Amino acid sequence: MIWWVVFAKPRDLLKNNRGVFPLLILIAFFSGFMELTGGGGVSYGIRMLAILAIGIWLYSDYRKGEFLDLGTWLLGTGIGFDLGMVAEMGMQSIDTFSSDFVWIRRAQELKGEAFSVRNLLSTGIILVTRTVRRADDTAEVLSVRGYTKGGSYCPGFRTTWKDFVGAIAAVFLVIISSIPASEFFILYR
Amino acid sequence: MPDVKVFTKNIRVIRQNWTLTADGSWSEGLHVVTGAVGSGKSTLALTLAGLLKPSSGEIQREGISSVMMVFQDPEFQVTGSTVEEECSSWGVDPDAVLQRINLSGKNSFSIRELSRGELKRLLLECVLSKQYDLLILDEPFSSLDCYEKERLSRELSERRHGITVILTHEQSIFPRTDYVWEIIDSSLCCRGKMPGALVLWRSAPSLIKNLILADKIPKNISPDDLVEALCRT
Repeated sequence: MIWWVVFAKPRDLLKNNRGVFPLLILIAFFSGFMELTGGGGVSYGIRMLAILAIGIWLYSDYRKGEFLDLGTWLLGTGIGFDLGMVAEMGMQSIDTFSSDFVWIRRAQELKGEAFSVRNLLSTGIILVTRTVRRADDTAEVLSVRGYTKGGSYCPGFRTTWKDFVGAIAAVFLVIISSIPASEFFILYR
Repeated sequence: MPDVKVFTKNIRVIRQNWTLTADGSWSEGLHVVTGAVGSGKSTLALTLAGLLKPSSGEIQREGISSVMMVFQDPEFQVTGSTVEEECSSWGVDPDAVLQRINLSGKNSFSIRELSRGELKRLLLECVLSKQYDLLILDEPFSSLDCYEKERLSRELSERRHGITVILTHEQSIFPRTDYVWEIIDSSLCCRGKMPGALVLWRSAPSLIKNLILADKIPKNISPDDLVEALCRT
């Protein structure tokens, strides 16, 4: 969380991802419920917040092609390329999902229908049907272009000094978090 | 019945790396807005329908109590799981609608069993079966075959009520139109009322341009009007 606050520009992230607030409310609700009924809610809340924070940072800071670059650099032009491409398609789907949802809401507004549990089913069906159809089309395009597995690709990364500092800090924090607390606080033993 | 009118007053809609500007007034009748792919027709359609707020300027409506827009992609506007349910969701008689679009007997078909063209026909007919003071059709001819385009053109030509705005990059089949607009360099330009608008219409189909050059200016742009102009001696 400290790393996120220092390196991830939290103010901009929260401003540009207002959709995360309902999730925060949900986490707060379940944390409170757990704390009241059996304990451990605070720990759960902090852990879920950390996962959510990293998730929205990853999504907001994502640039097209990054996963393909990372996959190919890490694991080569075989499995690395395939995994990178799958991740890229996944990210593309999230964007398209959001855009489709906006269009569906516009259509419901025109028909005079407020967003409710009743039309949640038709919304979900449209979103899933379109996603599956798009996946089919993508598979056909890849097939027509001769794709079987792997690909030739030269990964490239744009880095600044901030990225190096952030990376070193992240590694440092991973090392620190793997050392037992008793190594730091001798009275804890 | 009060006159219906829409004013787009110095509208600017800022998108990622371009801005659409629109300034004009829309009176009762059928308006065709043409423009190349990516020129901003859908953006204009959404703005006219009140679904997209302009970055500056305002849209004023007079006498408009009902607005409807048909999207380019018909899937978004489906709420029923069967053809009959979908027609009922629009408040129209399924049998009458299906008969007009040559889909009789498909009442119990799942919406997903219809092809894109059939779905488009269904949606358009459900909407055209009702009266709206402001009706916006974004690329209504896409996904339709020539026969259906002509049938739709005839149906649109017969509309008398309200303002109907058709945004299209279609180049061959048009309904009988009252006003022509075009989007040039992300700016909406009104070419005026028919048939005077034809001479000013920069992106007119080549057939119409050739007829004008041959001094056979059509009275309108429906297939019948173009044939009449072609056959003039």
